Amino acid sequence: MKVIAPNGDKLNLMPLNIGPSHGATHGCLRYFCALDGESIVATVGEIGYLHRGFEKMAERGTWQQVVPYTDRLNYCSAMMNNIAYCRAVENMFQLELPERTKILRVIISELSRMADHCICVAAAAQDLGSTTGFFYLFDSREMMMVIWEKLTGARLTNSYARIGGLYRDVYEGFEEDVLAVCKQAEKNLSDVHACFDRNRIFLDRTVGIGAMKPERAIQWGWTGPCLRATGVASDLRKDEPYYDYETYDWNVVTGTAGDVYDRLMVRLAEIEESIKIVRQALKRLTPGPIDIMDPRIRVPSHALAYQDIESLIGRFKSVYEGVRVPAGEYYYGFEAANGELGFTLVSDGSGKPWRVKVRPPCFTQFAAFHELVEGSMLTDSVATLSSINIIAGELDR
Amino acid sequence: MNFFETLFPVLETKFNVEKDASAHWDHSVIAKASVLRDLITFLKNDESSKMEMLLDIVGIDYLGFQDYEGPRFAVEYVLKSISRPGNRVRVKVFVSEQDLEVPTISDLYPIANWQEREVYDQYGIIFTGHPDLRRILNHVEFEGHPLRKDYPAHRRQWLSTNDFLLPALEKRLESKGYKVVERSKEVLPNEDEYLTGSIQE
Repeated sequence: MKVIAPNGDKLNLMPLNIGPSHGATHGCLRYFCALDGESIVATVGEIGYLHRGFEKMAERGTWQQVVPYTDRLNYCSAMMNNIAYCRAVENMFQLELPERTKILRVIISELSRMADHCICVAAAAQDLGSTTGFFYLFDSREMMMVIWEKLTGARLTNSYARIGGLYRDVYEGFEEDVLAVCKQAEKNLSDVHACFDRNRIFLDRTVGIGAMKPERAIQWGWTGPCLRATGVASDLRKDEPYYDYETYDWNVVTGTAGDVYDRLMVRLAEIEESIKIVRQALKRLTPGPIDIMDPRIRVPSHALAYQDIESLIGRFKSVYEGVRVPAGEYYYGFEAANGELGFTLVSDGSGKPWRVKVRPPCFTQFAAFHELVEGSMLTDSVATLSSINIIAGELDR
Repeated sequence: MNFFETLFPVLETKFNVEKDASAHWDHSVIAKASVLRDLITFLKNDESSKMEMLLDIVGIDYLGFQDYEGPRFAVEYVLKSISRPGNRVRVKVFVSEQDLEVPTISDLYPIANWQEREVYDQYGIIFTGHPDLRRILNHVEFEGHPLRKDYPAHRRQWLSTNDFLLPALEKRLESKGYKVVERSKEVLPNEDEYLTGSIQE
């Protein structure tokens, strides 16, 4: 298309479509650029290729039946979404969870965060042509996948949290497995840093690319590692602590430039912080109950259901009618791997949610994508896209 | 806790808002659509609140809600403060089915552009003054607004072709000061092809 630039130049721009099925558009998204040579003059994004009506589905079932749907939001850290959703509903009940459940949820959240960051940085490395870095990171992620498999029976879309407790207690040997992951992840991290830190190609492709100013990032509603990479120390685990995060010894990682390099390095550093939290949490883990004792909220165990009629009734009622969440409206934000995962819940007091609205963290990040890439080269848009970690599952819902 | 107790009387006198009785666990105010823009501007800029971040815009359909009387729809703005961590407030605006109009705030928060598009897409609420109110999650040819309670969840629609993004790209170029002299012919499919697409029934 022929255009006249603001400075009066006549340009012949080439419109180029990228995605939705393209190796660099992780998940399923599409952007449409106007190119001047190799540099991007303007770009618009289109999302919705993975829209499957999560919010409509959630309105049809009971409150508990939403839990497995939440796995499919950010499927790289599925259990964290369960925990966020369950915590939002539990807050409406104003429940206090058993100590063991809180600690297990912290461990699972932090391992999920590590896995999510591993995928993000690994995929970014792969997009930039570094298969070695990819495999170092996927090695520790694979060990976590094995833990998920033993814990829940599934690798990717696993659900572990339940409203008022957990699916079940951890298996024997869980602590050893987690410690082994931490050790291996540390080793892999040092290998990854050896790959990237002084690597001319990597630095050329990432430093100063796709930069975002902190004020602008806040206006765009950025949260999580992408916001912290711009230098804003905003982390819900510190700001509005839950599950006793304030009692763990760890730091909020921030960047300075807000470019691709910072976003990736913040994620790598957050893996280290998560390892710290996991190690401390494992030391606190003591045997105890994992579910609250309230048959109206948490389904009584099978063992009880076969012994007394009340528990049997409790199981039937909670399956058929769902938990009766008090009527009202509530927004709850949870620090997920990608940023603030928010749930706006509307309850009419029945067993089914009236409205479940997800605030996906990467929605805001992809909305600002055009600002990141306009003026840069087409190849930089690939590096930028992988650094903001778009997970189409939660982007499109 | 305390920030809202000091903030609410100010909002009450300035913008005539009321407390949302359904918000038992966090803070929410109900405002009229006419004061919405002033209220959001105040919340964003005033020293006492500093809600720099718009987290989400939520549409709600109350059709058939138990013991509910009032306008059918509501739009909720979820705001939080970055400089004062932990301060959050929600602003709720009721929208009647006949009216369906809420002023846009996409010039106050850039992210509202997409979030309002989503509410429009799912509920059909018109944000007046929005620069580019198109569908976002649903397909461009989709008819109806799926999150409305009277939209049956099992309804299927035949959708043929991709969203043709060239007009949006031209709009984006024009907003940056470029002037489109000649449209791109190669990628512009003819009218028939655009309607039927490559997928044939």
